[in-house]
Amino acid sequence: MEADAQLVQMCLRGEGPAWEELVKRHTRRVYNLCYRFTGSASEAEDLSQEVFLRIYRTLASYQAAYGGFPTWLTRVTRNLLVDHYRRTRRDRLTDSIEDKLPQVEGKQSVGRTPDRQALDQELSVQVQQALAQLSPELREAVILRDLQGLEYGEIREVLEIPEGTVKSRINRGRIELAKVLESMGLRPA
Amino acid sequence: MNWNCTQVEERLSDFLDAQLSPEERAEFSAHMATCPDCTRLVERVGGILQQVHQLEMLEPPPQLIGHILDGTLGPRGREKSRRGWLAWFPAIWQPRFAIGAAVAALSLVITFHALGASPARLKHADLNPVDLVRLANRHAHLVYARSARFVNDLRVVYEIQTRLRPEAQPAQEQQPPSPAPTEQQKSQGAPHPGRSANRVTVVMAFALVSGPVRSMR
Repeated sequence: MEADAQLVQMCLRGEGPAWEELVKRHTRRVYNLCYRFTGSASEAEDLSQEVFLRIYRTLASYQAAYGGFPTWLTRVTRNLLVDHYRRTRRDRLTDSIEDKLPQVEGKQSVGRTPDRQALDQELSVQVQQALAQLSPELREAVILRDLQGLEYGEIREVLEIPEGTVKSRINRGRIELAKVLESMGLRPA
Repeated sequence: MNWNCTQVEERLSDFLDAQLSPEERAEFSAHMATCPDCTRLVERVGGILQQVHQLEMLEPPPQLIGHILDGTLGPRGREKSRRGWLAWFPAIWQPRFAIGAAVAALSLVITFHALGASPARLKHADLNPVDLVRLANRHAHLVYARSARFVNDLRVVYEIQTRLRPEAQPAQEQQPPSPAPTEQQKSQGAPHPGRSANRVTVVMAFALVSGPVRSMR
């Protein structure tokens, strides 16, 4: 399997299958980031398309030396999410709740019992509702760290802020998230 | 130095992510041992994060990858070719095209039948281009040979006809000029020497010509 940097070079030579492979490899990560940030499936889908369109147009500006492709992709996604957040701030409260329901069922859920899947579904909804109550700065830090699994250094590159600030935001975000989830009835494991 | 509650709260994530140095960890644990509030906070946040970490990534909608590829690479080859094929259907359903296709198919059937080829007897080996060329070549030579034979036969018939005619002609001349035939002769239709020779020629020609015709079937 080719590394992302190799695939990018192949894309720049006009090889369509290489781009298709990059898209398949990273769509899930981008979609999840968009979904967790916006809380809306349709917005996440639109934003994911927008992210890849932007990536496709600016692929030549990607330099492997500046960091991994996933980090660059996440930074582009995050910047687009921030733009989107500013653009739609006023409309957010009027969104349909049905659109916000997450879809936990997927390939990874195969093999889990229906009870377990139902619990995951409930937890996913609660986490989404709790995230929506955090400020955007804390929300993005928690999503990147605890839902996307990025390291502190990667988050620093994505958000382009000092590592100390990253740590501080993650810390405050986690404490607030725990408070909100507790108030929603979730008990610590 | 003993840590206070604020310090513990500030370094909570570092503790949960195992980012504290051994000294810092010792300070953190020492404070927790004496502060029930901080202990409870660490347990709450740690326990809830543990559940959040168990959450799986959501599965994107199945059509998303297709939409992204369509938006960047344009409509993909597979769909384009399918659309290309579908684009032919309206043209195919035109009556004149259908009639033309039917006539072409009928012509092929007649040609195959005339050549003695039957789809039921068709084997895989018959579709080999080399065999097809050989078969076509053989049929072309056979048709040529039969045509040549037919022309030769006709030529023989013509020669016999021309040789018989001079013999009949003198016999006709030796007869005295007879007066106009009587009514009885007219009604009986007296045999004419030239006419009998012609009849022989026709019979022979028929015998010769019918041979090749039968052989051509």
